[in-house]
Amino acid sequence: MEIPAKFDDRSFEQFTQSFAAGGLTDKMVFDARTAQWASPFGLVAMLTAGQAVKEAGGAMPAFTVPIAEEVRRYWTRTGFFRHAMELFELHGKVPKQKPDTQSDVLLEVTPVRASEDVHTVVGRIQEGAARIIHGELGLEAKATMGFAMALSEACQNIVEHAGTGGWVSVHAYTFRRRLGRRVVVIAVSDAGVGFRRSLEATQQRRFGDRWGDAAALEAAVIQHTSRFRDPGRGQGIAGIKRYLSRWDGKLTIRSGTARIAIVPSWDDDVPLTEHLSPFPGAQVQIVIPAQEAKSG
Amino acid sequence: MRQTIQVEQVLRETVQTPYRDLVTRATGRAVRTSIEQALEAAGAMLTVLDFSEVGLVDFSCADEIVAKLLLNQTAGTFVLLQGLREDQLDAIEHVLDHHAIVALIRDRSSGTVRMVGRVEPDMRDAFGALETGEMLSTDGVAARTGWTFERARTALESLTRLNVVRASDGSYTVPLAV
Repeated sequence: MEIPAKFDDRSFEQFTQSFAAGGLTDKMVFDARTAQWASPFGLVAMLTAGQAVKEAGGAMPAFTVPIAEEVRRYWTRTGFFRHAMELFELHGKVPKQKPDTQSDVLLEVTPVRASEDVHTVVGRIQEGAARIIHGELGLEAKATMGFAMALSEACQNIVEHAGTGGWVSVHAYTFRRRLGRRVVVIAVSDAGVGFRRSLEATQQRRFGDRWGDAAALEAAVIQHTSRFRDPGRGQGIAGIKRYLSRWDGKLTIRSGTARIAIVPSWDDDVPLTEHLSPFPGAQVQIVIPAQEAKSG
Repeated sequence: MRQTIQVEQVLRETVQTPYRDLVTRATGRAVRTSIEQALEAAGAMLTVLDFSEVGLVDFSCADEIVAKLLLNQTAGTFVLLQGLREDQLDAIEHVLDHHAIVALIRDRSSGTVRMVGRVEPDMRDAFGALETGEMLSTDGVAARTGWTFERARTALESLTRLNVVRASDGSYTVPLAV
């Protein structure tokens, strides 16, 4: 499996096609030699693939590290290799370097398995988030706390619904092609049951023949339904959407074979995509852009 | 009788975390359970939940603590929230609106008490008529607002049902002077 040279949420579909081509218990080789860059989404997606293989009882996949030294260094700074070595046989030189949370990596790749992990993630992010969101992106100071709230809710989806652990990472970088501005990106991914299986018991009958990955995403993201009968449930995603609408942000959630997007004015993404290659669990991405410079 | 509960202290005593953030449903459930035990033990008519030292409040925790406490409140007992920052209030208002309920809050800067959540205009005006702290009958509220008796009665019944106004022998008051 070739890791895309620039691995983000868009090139992820190229990755899932080759991942789905074989069985989870087949011996796999993840070839990242030509990788030039990976977004936090790409990093947590690779770990999720490795986790899915491990949980399916497959042989530990091989992983050839990027040839480019600056890429290896960057991936080390993100904390990727520290977790990858538990899921892959790493081939190639991995630099010994501590993760760096003072740079564009606001939150190194962090495992999320339980409620305590969400506390840790939220606690760690707040200082860096204030520096980037208020200081660099130019959002009002109060946007920082909303950002941490959105992060908390996204991570809790793993704890509450996935049935297994997952990963989160937060970076700041420049969206050159799509936006031409700095952004902060939260990527959360798990190898769990996914939205369809999580909601099946309570929602399948309501959707009838339409039931599937896309309908499950629609139920959760648009209608804010939850597998729990507690009427207070389903507010996490609603809260994330409310925050994003205030700051012109973007939300995408991919689960199974479908992907849903809450698309802001600056993007031309498709709101709902079906019949994608299957991939385990759920992958959430939240993008907060820098405020546009006021003219005049 | 009133009691004041420091929510951050309850968090520290309930959950082993070095952080001051109210995040996750599990944390919310644990904190709410501790608060409910404190409410039961004290038997106070008015409980003040002080959020002054709390960090982040996410939607899940706001729902587990504030919304569920208010939804399960015993009639004739009242809860006042104070020390809330704007972002914390934002999360709490979101869950109150979701459940179509209201809460009493003491504004951090002005010190005034107001309702937040799903507040209908008549409820707000009737509450405003009682803000002086006097006990007023339905007729008294109708006179003060210029409404019909029926309109005043409907608004006061809503406020009583939502546990933000105390009703006693046909008169009503904002429950802060207990």
